[in-house]
Amino acid sequence: MATTSKNMNVFYRQKKNSSASTGKKSTKSPSPKHAATFGSDITQPPALVSHGGSLDLKDDFDEQEQVLRQFDMNMAYGPCVGITRLDRWERAQRMGLNPPKEIESLLRGGKVKLESLFDGRV
Amino acid sequence: MEVDSQEQLQRKQSTYLSLDENFEIQKEVYRGQQYSQIYFARLHMMRTLLYSLVPNWKSHLPVCTVLELKEGKECIIFGTLYKHMKLKPCILDEYSKERSVAPLIKPHNFMHQDDYLVLEDESGRVKLGGTKLSPSVYVTGVVVALHGKETSAGAFFVEDVLEAGLPPQIKRPLKSREDKYVVFVSGLSIGRSSSNPLQFQLLVDHITGHLGDEEEQGLAAEIVHLVIVGNSVEISRGLLNGQNLASKDQSRLCEPFKELDILLTQIAASLPLDIMPGSSDPANFALPQQPLNRCLFPGSTTYNTFRSCTNPHCFELDSIRFLGTSGQNIDDLTKYSEAKDKLDFLERTLRWRHLAPTAPNTLGCYPFTDRDPFLIDSCPDVYFVGNQEKYETCLLKGLEGQLVRLICIPRFCETGVAVVLNMRNLECHALTFGTQISS
Repeated sequence: MATTSKNMNVFYRQKKNSSASTGKKSTKSPSPKHAATFGSDITQPPALVSHGGSLDLKDDFDEQEQVLRQFDMNMAYGPCVGITRLDRWERAQRMGLNPPKEIESLLRGGKVKLESLFDGRV
Repeated sequence: MEVDSQEQLQRKQSTYLSLDENFEIQKEVYRGQQYSQIYFARLHMMRTLLYSLVPNWKSHLPVCTVLELKEGKECIIFGTLYKHMKLKPCILDEYSKERSVAPLIKPHNFMHQDDYLVLEDESGRVKLGGTKLSPSVYVTGVVVALHGKETSAGAFFVEDVLEAGLPPQIKRPLKSREDKYVVFVSGLSIGRSSSNPLQFQLLVDHITGHLGDEEEQGLAAEIVHLVIVGNSVEISRGLLNGQNLASKDQSRLCEPFKELDILLTQIAASLPLDIMPGSSDPANFALPQQPLNRCLFPGSTTYNTFRSCTNPHCFELDSIRFLGTSGQNIDDLTKYSEAKDKLDFLERTLRWRHLAPTAPNTLGCYPFTDRDPFLIDSCPDVYFVGNQEKYETCLLKGLEGQLVRLICIPRFCETGVAVVLNMRNLECHALTFGTQISS
């Protein structure tokens, strides 16, 4: 069921005016953040997206997290459950798998989630 | 050895190097990881190794992963074996509505003719067909390379198998050595009602040189090391039923340890000794078992010749490498596969380069995240296993000139047999202690 953003705007018009009017401006141009939560053209597996009921605008879907999720999902570096991302990177390094250096700098940078994608969910 | 009866006989010595760091888990932190991590580490290490061996085996064939298999395409795949066993006890059997095939009494071996092997790597798994790979020989957890092709039924027909083979062995310096002996004993089971304290006391007296005349003492002086390979104590089941112990029972709990400590103190005063934990000892259940706590041996730990070691245990004496376990790994192989004797199992673990391939599937194991400590990188000179039914030994020769002495050490409390190894030529003989007085 691929509803375009146009349909969503129509939907919102039926809601309360106060929230709709302020909400409309930000939802008109689909930025990647909102596109993910409103089921847009960009296919996104539901598991990767969670907003726990509330639409948190600063959610997990930012570029850095996306890159780290690709690192989590990469089979070559082994399972990601039960090990922190940095430990997994170091393990891959020690095993000679040559994980990309950008991931290490991203993880040591500090602003990202250190636990893997499935932490606390599996 | 001519010795003046006035002078004291000197015991020979040898340099000892412990290689147990790999088996220690003090630095490990449990973060809720599962066993997939240790399997990944095992698969990665073994696959890298097997990949380097493939050019010498069949260089013309392509290598692919399980998911890349195409019907009829001949190729080589690497992966971990999984053996599906009908009779393997499963927790779900308790909940099945119909009577299951498995009998209520656990058989000592879970093999069945319908068992089949499956090969698994990160991408997927495939059932193995053909007669080359016998399910009675292999167990879950062994990493191999297979040559074959996918059949129309979706299974992989195996034409040939590549095991890692014996690991490379470090060549020992060939200087002529003198006779130096190492004594192995296991399964003392002090605390069991049928154990005879006199037998072990005889062993202690012999090793420390309190028995026999000068010639006998001269022989004892050539013993440089003693290894106690697990199951030194046995606590009676009645005391361990989970209920609070009365104060008189608490002293009964400690008695085996006090007895063991007295005997070990006599030994430690005389020569270096290593004690390994076994399945009945108060150590952790999962492999690698950690060293027995020093508090259990208040008398012996005062000597620096006393060493409490891990199970498995790896050490070097005069640069001869020893590697061995207290028996849990071989006993598990006995339950899930078959061989003509225990030495065969020992040889298989060396050829698979893994001490305990069934860990963590059916053998308790710590969930390591970054390594598999049971992988054997370097071929030992002496490979032993304790707590077996009888004394068996053989010399294994590898294709690259490796020479390994395989030893099965019997349970001392049942057989009264200890094993003596000569480090000069790796020859082995049994030392039997009997206390029957013939009428």
